[in-house]
Amino acid sequence: MLNTLQKIGQLAFELPQKWLDRAFGNNLNPLRHLGSMTIFFLWIVLVSGIWITIFFHTSVVGAFESVEYMTIDQWYLGGIMRSLHRYASDAAIVTLVLHVFKEFVFDRYRSARWFSWVTGVPLLWLLIPLGITGYWLVWDQLALYVALVSSELLDALPIFTDSMARNFLSVESLSNRFFTLMAFTHIIGLPIFLVFSIWIHVFRINRPRINPPRKVMIGAMLTLLALSVVYPALSQGKANPALVPESLALDWYYLLVYPLLKYWPPASVWALLIGFSLLLCIAPWLPPARKPAVVRVDLENCNGCERCVEDCPFGALEMAPRSDGEKYASEAVVDAGLCLSCGICVGSCPTATPFRTRSVLSAGIDLPDQPVAAVREMIIQSTQNLQGNRRLLIFGCEGSKQLDRFIDKETAVVNLTCMAQLPPAFIDWVLSRGHADGIVLRGCAHSDCQYRLGARWTEQRVSRERDPRLRKRVNTEQLALLWTEPWCDFANASAAIAAFRATLPEPLATTEQKASTGITISRHRLRPVAATFAWALFAASALVFTIWPRFSQLQEGNAIVSLTFSHAGQRVAECRKLSQQELNKLPPNMRKPMDCPRERHSVDVLFSADGQVLYEHSLAPSGFWKDGESTVYYRMELPAGRHEFFIGMRDSGREKGFDYSGETAFTLAEGQHVVVEFDPLGKTFIFR
Amino acid sequence: MALLEWKAEYSVGNVAIDHEHELMIRHINTLYEQINNTAGNDATSVEAVLGEIHADISAHFALEERLMRQARYGEYEEHKEDHEDLLDQIHDLIDAFYQDPAVGEQRLKSRLSGWFGRHFSSFDSRLHRQLG
Repeated sequence: MLNTLQKIGQLAFELPQKWLDRAFGNNLNPLRHLGSMTIFFLWIVLVSGIWITIFFHTSVVGAFESVEYMTIDQWYLGGIMRSLHRYASDAAIVTLVLHVFKEFVFDRYRSARWFSWVTGVPLLWLLIPLGITGYWLVWDQLALYVALVSSELLDALPIFTDSMARNFLSVESLSNRFFTLMAFTHIIGLPIFLVFSIWIHVFRINRPRINPPRKVMIGAMLTLLALSVVYPALSQGKANPALVPESLALDWYYLLVYPLLKYWPPASVWALLIGFSLLLCIAPWLPPARKPAVVRVDLENCNGCERCVEDCPFGALEMAPRSDGEKYASEAVVDAGLCLSCGICVGSCPTATPFRTRSVLSAGIDLPDQPVAAVREMIIQSTQNLQGNRRLLIFGCEGSKQLDRFIDKETAVVNLTCMAQLPPAFIDWVLSRGHADGIVLRGCAHSDCQYRLGARWTEQRVSRERDPRLRKRVNTEQLALLWTEPWCDFANASAAIAAFRATLPEPLATTEQKASTGITISRHRLRPVAATFAWALFAASALVFTIWPRFSQLQEGNAIVSLTFSHAGQRVAECRKLSQQELNKLPPNMRKPMDCPRERHSVDVLFSADGQVLYEHSLAPSGFWKDGESTVYYRMELPAGRHEFFIGMRDSGREKGFDYSGETAFTLAEGQHVVVEFDPLGKTFIFR
Repeated sequence: MALLEWKAEYSVGNVAIDHEHELMIRHINTLYEQINNTAGNDATSVEAVLGEIHADISAHFALEERLMRQARYGEYEEHKEDHEDLLDQIHDLIDAFYQDPAVGEQRLKSRLSGWFGRHFSSFDSRLHRQLG
């Protein structure tokens, strides 16, 4: 099931990726730099955010006005900064979602990769509230909606005794201090944790790609700038607690679950969010578990040269003091929990040379499932029946599928786990021993290697920039590196391979030549146009769900009535003076003359409109000792028009009747927001 | 008599490197015996020894290069080039033996003792001072 899902997901991802490969070339394809692009967008958010912070007023009155000033009066700078701030944060979500999707469908989250996958989950929990608090600070109509719904969500947690949502029902109840708190959370609190968490997220990765290639950064920056000029981010009217807007443009990237609150109780929304996060967290261990045997160090062949440690993309190897009494200082040790069995270390091991015939061919570090000896055997077996003088041997990796389609009487295929699993000495050996006349290394896309650094190391070893180097005497005209997208372009690849075969020189070794990277697929002259179009599409994808579909809090023709107040019930028992006898029984330091039980009665509230009961609840007192206030916060949608309301409340534990009550009748306008409160001094209900 | 003998002055002051140098000398001597003393010159066994040398010497160079880098050895680049040259020569020799044992033997004889004598005297003694 999961396999099928991943296969479908792979195809869905491959297709656009292939198009973009054509437009950008696969090293500059944004779809191959999703993680680092997300970080780049966060940089833009940070820089534009600093600008906004300078002009932002952290006060009820100033917040909205200062953002308006930036957006309109200073549109050429502040406005652009604000738009960049918004669109970069939306773009970050787009790339982040694609990043997660890609790692999932290509199965790059299991076994040793669990760490980066699981530490990605808290990133979501930081990034989303970061966006939400940002929308909150603007203090427009959307901010008010965000404030109300966020508070309702937070109120459902058993942390707050009083209702936070009540603060946002009238301007008077909101203080400037609140904006200071929110600004602190948005500007300092969450970002600090975010930076820290990103660091942890890439912590275990050897040479993580933090930045996308410069051209991709420039493209992304220009795209967002263009979007900011063409479609600047705007506020949606000053927040007015007395009026519910007909509809709002919602930023679905950040506020996806908020509309759910219209239909579900907050507890269910929390359950959904937490359940989804937990599912993500345990995903790496869900069946079907795949864990091939990890690499093994063979101390007979290990002198502690450390090359494997340098090349491991996952930090699974480290040096340890020698354990076998040999005269070496150290040896390589495998951390099985981090090893993905890619074999890149095998390709780096100097002892993995196929020229060894006397002793058993065994590398200092080797893959139990496909040791170098087996690779040598596979090469011999697959090439022995080849015919002609332009015989090709194609090495494939896990990422290059459909290779068997190339097999014919002059072409053989050997499938490896990763291209860098092949020690360069094998290339020399195959050609000098005449097993084939040409070699094609057909790996997965260069910038998007399934094992991260496999393609890079292979290229550097072959071009003699990295150890172990390919020997100079190897005629590089007989070697081609073909990094292309394997799934979709069989025709392309076979054309390229046929072309390579045609250029093969007569097999006369020992000509000195500079290593080339072999086949390049020609660039189309429409590439810049295609790339521009792709960036425009990206801009659209970062914009579309911030403006569409619009969201209505209310059904047409309705108004809202909110029941909201806190009231302490009466004490269950009166205070009582203790007798001298009773006092004597107590320890001397506890002889309080009065015994006052702290427990209070529950507060029962009933609210009805036109004789129909809309709300009837018994509210327990808050606090551990049941001595706190009881709080009611309840939102009701009513059709506009004239209604007769009744509210009653009892706080004395009586069974029937009410200690306080109020009655009124008035006309609700469409979209109006009426708040019903209790005045604790006058002991009366107020309809506002 | 063996072609080469281990001398105390060869020591570079690192136990592992010295150990491997001794191993190399043993390899060379085996090779020397193979081509001189064995009647009929068993080409495949010479080639096999060369294969072993290739593996061991590759590993030896890898370790030596690492130590040089860690010690920030000033002439690392030169020494590294020397290593690469030697590896090239070994590959060529293996091939020569594979293609025509007679040619291979001739080439081998002309190079054998030169290899290590030069390797030790020119570079490793300086490394010695730096490592020691």
